[in-house]
Amino acid sequence: MTIGFRQKLDALFTSISGLSVILMTAALVLVLGPILLKGASAVVFRGTVEFRQMQLELFGRGNVLDIQAETTEVEAARNEVYSIIDHFKKGIDADVQIKQARDIYREYGRQLRLRQIPSDKFTAWRQKVRKLRDALETAYTTSDEKEALEQLDFVLSQQNIPEVDDTAAGQYFQMARDYRKIVTEVGLDHKEEYADKFKQVEEIIKDIFGPRPGESTILMASEQFGMTRWDRTLFHLNRLLWVEEWVEKKPGEPLVKVQRPRVEQFAGTEMVKVFDLMEDNLQAMQHPKLTIYWQYFFDGDKTTGHFFGGVGPEILGTLLLTILSMLFAFPLGVISAAYLIECAGDNLVIRIIRTCINTLAGVPSIVFGLFGLAFWVPMISTISGNPAGSSIMAGSLTLAMLILPIIIRASEEAIRSVPHTYKEASLSLGASKLRTFVTVQFPAALPGILTGVILSMSRAAGETAPILFTAAVAVGGVPDSLFHGGTLALPYSAYNLAVGDVTGARVPHNQFGMVMTLVLLVLLLNIVAIVIRSRVSKKLLGH
Amino acid sequence: MANQTPQSTKVADFDRPLLLTPGQDWGNYLINILGQALLFLITSLSVVAVLLIFFFIIRKALPFFLKHGVMEFFTSTAWYPEGSPAEFGAGTLMAGSLYVTVGALLFAVPGGILAAVFLSDILPFKARQIVKPIIEILAAIPSVAYGFFAIIVVAPWLQKHLGLVTGTNIFNASLILAVMAVPTIISVAEDALTAAGRELREASLALGATRAETIIKVMLPAAHSGIIAAIILGMMRAIGETMVVWMAAGNASQIPTPWWNIFASVRTMTATIAGDMAESPEGSDHRLALFAVGLTLLAFTFLLNLASEHFLGRSRGGGKGRKK
Repeated sequence: MTIGFRQKLDALFTSISGLSVILMTAALVLVLGPILLKGASAVVFRGTVEFRQMQLELFGRGNVLDIQAETTEVEAARNEVYSIIDHFKKGIDADVQIKQARDIYREYGRQLRLRQIPSDKFTAWRQKVRKLRDALETAYTTSDEKEALEQLDFVLSQQNIPEVDDTAAGQYFQMARDYRKIVTEVGLDHKEEYADKFKQVEEIIKDIFGPRPGESTILMASEQFGMTRWDRTLFHLNRLLWVEEWVEKKPGEPLVKVQRPRVEQFAGTEMVKVFDLMEDNLQAMQHPKLTIYWQYFFDGDKTTGHFFGGVGPEILGTLLLTILSMLFAFPLGVISAAYLIECAGDNLVIRIIRTCINTLAGVPSIVFGLFGLAFWVPMISTISGNPAGSSIMAGSLTLAMLILPIIIRASEEAIRSVPHTYKEASLSLGASKLRTFVTVQFPAALPGILTGVILSMSRAAGETAPILFTAAVAVGGVPDSLFHGGTLALPYSAYNLAVGDVTGARVPHNQFGMVMTLVLLVLLLNIVAIVIRSRVSKKLLGH
Repeated sequence: MANQTPQSTKVADFDRPLLLTPGQDWGNYLINILGQALLFLITSLSVVAVLLIFFFIIRKALPFFLKHGVMEFFTSTAWYPEGSPAEFGAGTLMAGSLYVTVGALLFAVPGGILAAVFLSDILPFKARQIVKPIIEILAAIPSVAYGFFAIIVVAPWLQKHLGLVTGTNIFNASLILAVMAVPTIISVAEDALTAAGRELREASLALGATRAETIIKVMLPAAHSGIIAAIILGMMRAIGETMVVWMAAGNASQIPTPWWNIFASVRTMTATIAGDMAESPEGSDHRLALFAVGLTLLAFTFLLNLASEHFLGRSRGGGKGRKK
C-alpha cells in the first residue's frame, strides 16, 4: 500500500467515525425537535371563544363581561348556521315533527279546557284536530310521495275551519306548508339518506361549537365545550367540508383514499349555504386569538382524556414521587459511598457489596415494578392499614431502590475526586477521620454529589415501569395521603395519551404537551447538573 | 498595647491535655468500631435490596414453575394465559426480546464504538466538552419520551414511506432502543480506550502507522475487554427497556415469519409484564406467570451483569499489567 492510499483510508475512517457522532446529534435533534416544538403548541396557540369560556367556567379566569359580550357576538354569527340546520332538520327528521305535532295537539286540548268549552263540543273539536294530526303524522312517516302530498293537501284544505281559530292547532298549517315544500323540492326518496348524512354534519358542528345555548342534556364532560383551539377548529372544519372515501380505482387493486366535498351530498338544498357559511365565516363564529396559556403547567383537568385544562396534577405527582424517593436514597447512597471509599478495604465482603450495587443498577426497571408490587405495596398496606393498592409511598420506595446505585456511584466519584491533600491536611491537624470527612471531604465533594443527585432525580422523574404497578393511575388526581391511592404522573399520563388512540387523537397538542413537560423537567435537571459539574471541575483543577 | 492583644490570642491554646486518658482512648476506639459497623450495615442495605428482589420475585415465580413445569415455559411458543386450558409458553416473548435487542445492537454497536473512538482519539479536548453533554442528554431523555417519538413520529412515517401494514415493529423498536443504548456503549468504551494509555498510541504512531491503523490494529485490541463490557451493558439497557418496546414493537405475540422479517410486530418479555399486569387477577396463574417472566429477565440481566463486571475488571487489571 502506498502512503497516499493509507492516508486516504485514514481520512475515510476519521470521517466515518465523525459521521457517527453527527448521526447521534441528529438523533437528539430529531427526537427533541418535534416533542419540544409541537409540545409548545399546548401552551402557545390561537384560542377560540370556547377556550375563554372554558377558562371562565372551570378556573374562574377572565373578565366575565368581556366574555359575555364576545359570546353574544359569536352566537349571532352561529345562529345563521343553526337556523338553516334547524329548518332542514324539520324536513328530514320525522320523529321531531311527529313530536311537535303531538305537543301541539296536547296544547290544543289544554287551551280548549281553559276556554271552558262544553264537553260534547270539546270531544268533537278534538276529534277534528286529531284527524289533522294523524294526517300530518302519516305524511311524515310515509315514503310514498303521492300519499304524503294527499295527506298534506287534506290538512291545508282545512285551514278555515272554526275549530282551530286562535289555537295552537293553527301551527299545523305552517308545518304542512313547510313539509309540502320539502316533499316537492327534495322528494321523499332521499329523505332517509339525508337523515344519516345530516346527522354527521350536525355532530361535527357540535364538535366545533359545543353544546348549543340552552341545550340541557350534556352527557360527557368532554362535550362541555366546543373546540377551544383554532387549529382543532380547522381540523374539524376540514372534516365537515370533505368526506373520505375508499374507492376501488381498478378492480383487484388496493382501495385508494379519495376526498370528496361533503357539499355534494346536499346539492340543491338549503344546506349548501351552511358549508359556505362555515368556510367563509368561521372566524366570526370562533374568534381565534393568540393565547399564551402558561397556566397549562398548573391547571388540573377533570375530564378523563385531558380535553381541557393542563398538566398540573401530573407535575405535582411526579415531583412528589421524585423528591420522596430522593429523601430515601440520598442519605443511604452518600453514606454507602463514604464507607466504601474511606473505611472499606478490598476484601471479599466489599467485593460482594460492590457486585450487588452493580446488580441493582442492572435490574430492569420493570422488575423493580414487579418487586414493588410484591413487596412494597403489601408492606405499605400493612403499615398504614389501608387496603393494598397503589400509593405514592410504595412508588417512591421502589424508585429509591432504582436510583440508589446511581447515587452511590456518583457520590463515590465525587468523594474520590477531592484531592488527597485536603484529607491529609485535615488529618495532620489532628482531626479524626469522621471529622475530616464531615467537615473537609464532604463539603468539597458536595457539588459533585449534588450533580449525581440531580441526575438521578431526572432518572426517577422519567421512569415509568417502576411506578406502573405501584403508584401511577390513569385517571384521578394527586391523593391526599402518601400511603393510600395512586397518583397521576407525567410519564404514565404521557404513555396513556400516546397509545389511547381515540382520546389521544382528539388532543394531539396535549399528547405532545405532556411529553414536552416531562422532557423539559428532565432537561432542566440535567442542564443544572452539567453547569454545577463544569464549575466544580474548574474549581478542583485550581482555576 | 491595643495592637498586641489580638496577636496574643492567635497563639495556640493548649488548655486541653494532649494525651488521652485510657478511658477516652477506649471510648474513641469503641465509637470508631461501632460507627464503622453502623456504616457497614447501611452500606450492606444494597445487598439486602438485591436479596429481597430475588427473594420476592422467586417466591411468586416458584409456585408457577412447580405447577406448570419449567420445560413448557422455556420451550413452548404458545402464550395463551387466559385460554382454557391456559398455556404459558414464553418462547415467543423471549424471541421478541431477542429480536429487538439484537436489532438494537446491530445499529448501536458500530455507531457507539466509532463514536467512542472519535471522542477518545480524534476529537480535540475542547470539542469533546461540547459533544459529551449531547451524549448525556441523549441518555437522560425518559424512555417514555422515546416510546412516544417511536409511536407518534416514526411509526406513521414507516407506514407511509415504506408501505408497511403497521409502523410498530421490530425495526422501529430496534432503532429507538439503539439510540437509547448508544450513550451507554460510548461512555464505557471511551473509558476503556482512554485507560489503554498514551504510550501505546505514541509507540504505534512512532512506528509510522496512520491514526486509523493505530486505532483499529492497536487501540481496539488493547481495549477489547472494556469494549465487550460496553456492548454487554448496552445489551442490558436494550433488553430491560419496557416503555419503548411496549409502545413501538407492536405487541403481537408471534415469531416473525420468515425469520428475517424485521417489519413484523413482536412482543417482548418486558412489554408482556407491563401489558398483562392489569388483566391478571391477584393470585391467578397468569399473574404468577408474569413473575416467572420477570424472574427470567432478572436472571438474564444478572448473568450479563456478572459478565460485564468480569470484562470491566480485566480491562482495568490489564491496563495495570501492561504498565509494569
